[in-house]
Formats: sequence, C-alpha cells, structure tokens
Amino acid sequence: MDKINRRNFLGAGLILGASTLLGKETSKKIITDATGEFVPPVIAFPEKKPMKTISDRPPLLESSRDIFSQAITPNDQFFVRWHMPDIPTYIDLETFRLEIKGSIEKPLALSVDDLKSKFEPVEITSVLQCGGNSRKFYARSGQATHGVQWGHGAMGCAVWKGARLKDILNMAGVKGSAKFVGLNGLEKPAVDETPHFFREMEIDEALSGDIIVAYSMNGEDIPYLNGFPLKLIIPGHFSDSWVKMLSEITVMDEYRKSFFMDVAYTVPDNDCECVVSGGDFEYKRKPITIMKVKSVIGYPTPNTVIKKGSRINVTGVAFDQGKGIKEVMISLDSGKSWSTTTLQKDNGKYAYRQWNYSWEPKAKGEYVIMVRAINRIGNIQPMPDEIGWNAGGYQYNGVDAVNVKIV
Amino acid sequence: MKIKLLIATLLLGTSAVFAQVSKPIEMPYVDYPIAKGDHDEVAQQYCLICHSFGYILNQGQKSRPYWTGTVSKMVNEFKAPIPKEDQQTIINYLVKHYGYESTSGH
Repeated sequence: MDKINRRNFLGAGLILGASTLLGKETSKKIITDATGEFVPPVIAFPEKKPMKTISDRPPLLESSRDIFSQAITPNDQFFVRWHMPDIPTYIDLETFRLEIKGSIEKPLALSVDDLKSKFEPVEITSVLQCGGNSRKFYARSGQATHGVQWGHGAMGCAVWKGARLKDILNMAGVKGSAKFVGLNGLEKPAVDETPHFFREMEIDEALSGDIIVAYSMNGEDIPYLNGFPLKLIIPGHFSDSWVKMLSEITVMDEYRKSFFMDVAYTVPDNDCECVVSGGDFEYKRKPITIMKVKSVIGYPTPNTVIKKGSRINVTGVAFDQGKGIKEVMISLDSGKSWSTTTLQKDNGKYAYRQWNYSWEPKAKGEYVIMVRAINRIGNIQPMPDEIGWNAGGYQYNGVDAVNVKIV
Repeated sequence: MKIKLLIATLLLGTSAVFAQVSKPIEMPYVDYPIAKGDHDEVAQQYCLICHSFGYILNQGQKSRPYWTGTVSKMVNEFKAPIPKEDQQTIINYLVKHYGYESTSGH
C-alpha cells in the first residue's frame, strides 16, 4: 500500500464515504440504449455545461453531436480527456511557472504574465481531436476496438492564443546537441511508478511551424478542465501531444522511451496505418500524429423527425491535417448519389470548415444522410466498410451517416 | 437521471470570462453502477485507485482475452499494485459482468 500516494488513497476513501453519507442517487440499474451500449450520465463539471460523462476520475467528457452545427466550439461545451487521476484543482498564477530546462544555454521559469508580455502573441484557429475520437464507429462496420467507445464528440475547434514554442526555445538558447523536446504537465498518477503523461517531439518540429503555448481559448482563460493555465497547441495533430497544464519543457539530446509515446496512441507502421492480417501488436509501431480528412453532421441529429415539405438546413463541419478542405459532398439516399454542399467562411487551414445544404424532403420515409469530405491534396474519407482497422481504434474518419424520418 | 451538480452551478454563476478562480474547483463525484457479486470489492479496491468504473462501463462487452490483456496492462505498464491472485479475481469479475467467455476476439 505504500506505493500509493497517500493523498489519493485517502481522497478516494473520502469520496466513497461522502457519497454514502449523501445517499446514492444514481440507480443501480445500468442504463443502455437499443444496441445495449452503456449510456453515460450527463453532468455539469466546473466551467462546463452538462456533458456526457464517460468518467469523472480522470474526467472524460464528450460533446453532443449538435455542437457540430457551429464552426467554433464554445469553451463550456468543449470535450475533456485526462489520463491521470491527480489533477490540480487550483493553480496560483503568482507561483505557477513554466520551466524550460535541459540542453539549453539559459534555464527559464516563465510566469503566465511573462508569456503574455515577453513574446509576440499569436492566434490560431485549430481543431483539437482525440486520437480515439469516433472509435465506436469501428464496431458498427467491423470489429470493435480497445478503449472507451467515444462517439464523434471528442473533438472541437477553438481560437487559441499564446506564444510560439520556437520563440520560447530561442530565448532559452537550444544547444547544438539537442535532438528532442519533452513536454510534461501537472497531471499526476495515483501510483508513483505509473508512467507520467510525457510527450516528445523532434527538435526541428519544435523550432518550426505553428506550435504555440496557449494561455487563451476563444478569448477567455483556458478552462481548468481543458488545461488551465497553459496548453500546448499543435495544429493539425491529434490531441495526445497537446499537453494540458503544461509545466515543463525539457530539451533533450536523446529520445526518452515512454509508455505514452511508444505503446499507447500508436498504430501499425505501414502505409495504411492499419492491420492487414494477424494481430495489431505484431506490427512495428508508430505514434499517431497528423489528422485525417473528416466531416461530421451536426444537424439533423440521428432519429430526427421532419415534416414532409419543410425546408431544413443540413449542416456540419469538415477539417483535415491543415491542407484545407476542397469539397464536402452529401448524399440523401444512403450513398447512391452525391451533391455538393456550400462551404462557409474559411477560418484558416487548421480550423473547422462549416458546410451547409438546403434540403426539402419531398417524400415520406426513412432517409440516411451521409457526408464525405475531400481535401486539397485529394485525400477523401473512406466508406465505413472500407476503413483500415487498428486495435486502438485511432484515427477513425469513415463517412458519417445520420438517419432521419420524414413524416 | 439524478446528478450531483455540487459546485459546478456555483461556478457557472461567477465570472464566465476568467477561468481563474479564487478557490479550488470541486469535481462532481459520479456514482457509476457497479455490478455486485463475484468479489466486486476486489475490482473496486484496485480499479478505483486510478480510474472510475466509467472506464469499464464505456468499453462495451469484451472477451476474456481482452480483459486479461487489460488487467495485465494495468499491472505491467501502469504499475497497478495488484497481487497475482487478485488479478485473476478481477478478470473473472469483468468477464462475467462486462464481457463474455471466448478464447479470442475483442
């Protein structure tokens, strides 16, 4: 028992005790939907509207599908995904410092005010998507995958503002021997020996491009559950490297092996990044990095009932790794024929591109609406039964489908 | 669905513009349903050290090899301090209540 951090162990006991005192409010019965899947409770966490609560510790909160009828995701509906149970619930900005250390000329300890005042502020609108987002759809068309079964709601798009990572590293003076940059935040495991959520990138990537250390999200402080006060922003990349409550940047001469880089969030290291035959972990691994072209429907939501003859605005969002969306096609007959949607305002190559399609259903019956995006380099979303499979359920970008009923 | 909103509603009432709060945020506790019997107390004792039962409930029904692999991952990768005999108890509990008997599959 001495391996367990005392604070956490006591904390867990207190929580269980408190719940007993307050009286257990949730029903013992497991609530499931028509397919037998567990339906998570919808609960308001600090600074959040009620959201699907996949877990409370660590917090995993999923946005509902209707959020995709907006090009910018509001902070209080933005998804949440932590990896460790011990997350600071209070940060004093007077004492909080971002440390830059390792193979550098001058170690730095920067306050949030330092980041705001000593560096050129940069704003970028970018999608943030969990590597396991939409994972449950692998099971709809084929074999189920590992991990909690997210719907589409582990993604959002926000305007991030902060200082460039390269400007911070240049102030510290990177030594010629440096090859990697390690990133660490304030979340901590319950057991000391558990690997920390430590991420790494090559020094060339850290010194180039659009990576920023953000202190603002959609014009506000970053919500606690999204990583207050600082979050690493890597536009075009999956969110596993967007370290929350960023507290340490370590410049390193050598790669440091770590569970979260080498085992978790990895896919087979082949062209399709998928399992062709045999087991997933028989393949050499590579970490997931850049996102794949994807579009989802925000309205209508599944099982919406629509009156025949009414005109509805079918809408949703599309994005890719930063090449830009060329076209989003829509089908109203389960994929037999396709039409072009109207792309809305361009908020930048890393942002959601909202699309619209005006539809006036002429006949009663069941319809399946499908959307399919293509980007400027010709990447197109696969049909769900054509998508390459991986055991972790990462990088799902199959064509989205929503069933509606016209009455 | 009955929910403990606790402090969340209080926070929504304060400044919406600044996330910086003057005192610690308080996280709601979710009382996920936990199937009783087959030594659920062993599963609770160890699984809940690091994560809620939501992690289990939201994976869907899984095979015996899957749950065996998952418990091994918790011990070998995440260093969960679970004695060998308790690992088997937890696997049996998970397969019975959140899975199915099978020699292969997910």
